[in-house]
Amino acid sequence: MLTKEEVLKIARLARLELTDDEVSFYQNRLGRVLDYMTELKGIETREGTGVRHVPLDSEKFRNDEVVTFPDKEALLQNAPALEEGGFLLPAIMETE
Amino acid sequence: MSNLNQLDIQSLLAGYEKKQFTVSEVAESCLKIIGEKNAKLNALLEISSEKVMKRAKELDGQGSSSGKLKLYGVPIAIKDNFLVKGWQCTAGSKILEGYRSPYTATSVKRLEEAGALIIGKANCDEFAMGSSNENSAYGPCRNPWDLERVPGGSSGGSAAAVAASMCPAALGTDTGGSIRQPASLCGLVGVKPSYGRVSRYGIVSYASSLDQVGPLSQTVWDSARVLEVMSGFDPHDATTSKMAVPDFTQSLRETSLSQVTLGIAPAWLEGVDSDVKKAFDASIDALKKSGAKIIEVDLPRTRYSLSVYYLIAPSEASSNLARFDGVHYGFRAKDFTDSETLYRLSRGQGFGKEVKLRIMLGTYALSAGYYDAFYLKATQVRRLIQQDFEDAHKKCDAVLVPTSPSTAFKLGEKSDDPLKMYLSDIFTLPVNLAGLPGISVPCGLDQQGLPIGLQMIGRPFDEAKLLQIAKSHEQIHGVLKRP
Repeated sequence: MLTKEEVLKIARLARLELTDDEVSFYQNRLGRVLDYMTELKGIETREGTGVRHVPLDSEKFRNDEVVTFPDKEALLQNAPALEEGGFLLPAIMETE
Repeated sequence: MSNLNQLDIQSLLAGYEKKQFTVSEVAESCLKIIGEKNAKLNALLEISSEKVMKRAKELDGQGSSSGKLKLYGVPIAIKDNFLVKGWQCTAGSKILEGYRSPYTATSVKRLEEAGALIIGKANCDEFAMGSSNENSAYGPCRNPWDLERVPGGSSGGSAAAVAASMCPAALGTDTGGSIRQPASLCGLVGVKPSYGRVSRYGIVSYASSLDQVGPLSQTVWDSARVLEVMSGFDPHDATTSKMAVPDFTQSLRETSLSQVTLGIAPAWLEGVDSDVKKAFDASIDALKKSGAKIIEVDLPRTRYSLSVYYLIAPSEASSNLARFDGVHYGFRAKDFTDSETLYRLSRGQGFGKEVKLRIMLGTYALSAGYYDAFYLKATQVRRLIQQDFEDAHKKCDAVLVPTSPSTAFKLGEKSDDPLKMYLSDIFTLPVNLAGLPGISVPCGLDQQGLPIGLQMIGRPFDEAKLLQIAKSHEQIHGVLKRP
């Protein structure tokens, strides 16, 4: 079980607005899952032994060339709000 | 000819060659059954007779030049987390409601270039997070074998569509079992290729180091055909391999088991339902009688797969899903005053329960103070799991295990307990963690008449061998009839 404050902190980091009911729901669920995961603590591992990715043959960089996506309209059609061909957002800076 | 919707890919291609029917006739037959069954099953989220028939007529118009196309006139359903230009892509989420794909995923593009006919977009758990398809924002999908039961997940709609004979094959994605487990629960063949075999370009990312695209079908040959068409290097996905793609269907001609060694890990099978265990043991016996050598292998660290997976996948998801912020596309909440509130409200209201759980789990595992104990530790144990398979594959060509510890369960049966649900994937998760190819094939029915799946886990990039073994098994068992 996590505390209410812990859940709210994670939700804030993840940019998730939660209702009060959700907070208590996730206190329980997250706590339960994280408890289970403590089984990893006792396993002997060495440092720097992350997974080996298989397709080693493709680990090289491509040339950094600009390619224009041909269908700008298709990309913009899904925007929730547009103005003059740009994405519309609330102001970030105060205007005087 | 009636019931064209029931033909598998191999029979369809043979029929086209003999001019027994047209693509339009096949398309009409599939659309008819979709019209009859989809309201109950909820397998497909977008159906478009107009798009399907237009494409079918185009294919019919191609005439004799079409004979060389490897998937000419083959109807295929695509999971709704793939972009297919002109079609929706919701990934089963409210946050992507109404999203229209601006381009087509490489895997789907290759199918279309080979003559395939996209028949619809298939239901799935939201952002492919789930094992029952109950996490879809568009309602659960039901199992054609028993409507009270789940088809598995997350590619539940893909599996249900094929099992209901709406199409002979479907595409799914598999991050921890999302192709193999629904294939098992719906009595189908399902393949999760090696990591890097098929391009992930144009699929909605869940956990990028684990996601793979693969086919579901009624027969091994059909999956082999779909896989060989879509595999191979893609400049749009830097993790795809340049390794040559074998002609998988051609390699199925060799199915002798006399040189094949198969590994079983008895310690891993605890807690498996008795009917599943019986069918598994019977399959092993049959393979042995047909000439395969059976040995025991030890995979001691696979028991930690659940913990490792549910730290790594949510961590990657918490980063991948940061893009859904109500700005560039998707759901935007009302009543915000600043950008911060816009993000929080849009994400809080747009994402479902399980998705929020996994985002928070990942955020927690990656956050200061917990990173070493959770995320880093998980990546280190992941390496040990990979090592276990490397050791096992030195002694055998494939490791055999049931695909799922149980057959299809009832809707609601596991949805209140996350760990109970996560345990449905206990035999499939380690395969993604190790980047290996895995295939699920039907191996019998339980006492209630529900399908049981057998999983075979191969060496990296040795899908050809794996498909050969699966084909041998299919020759012994016969192809499972759809319900």
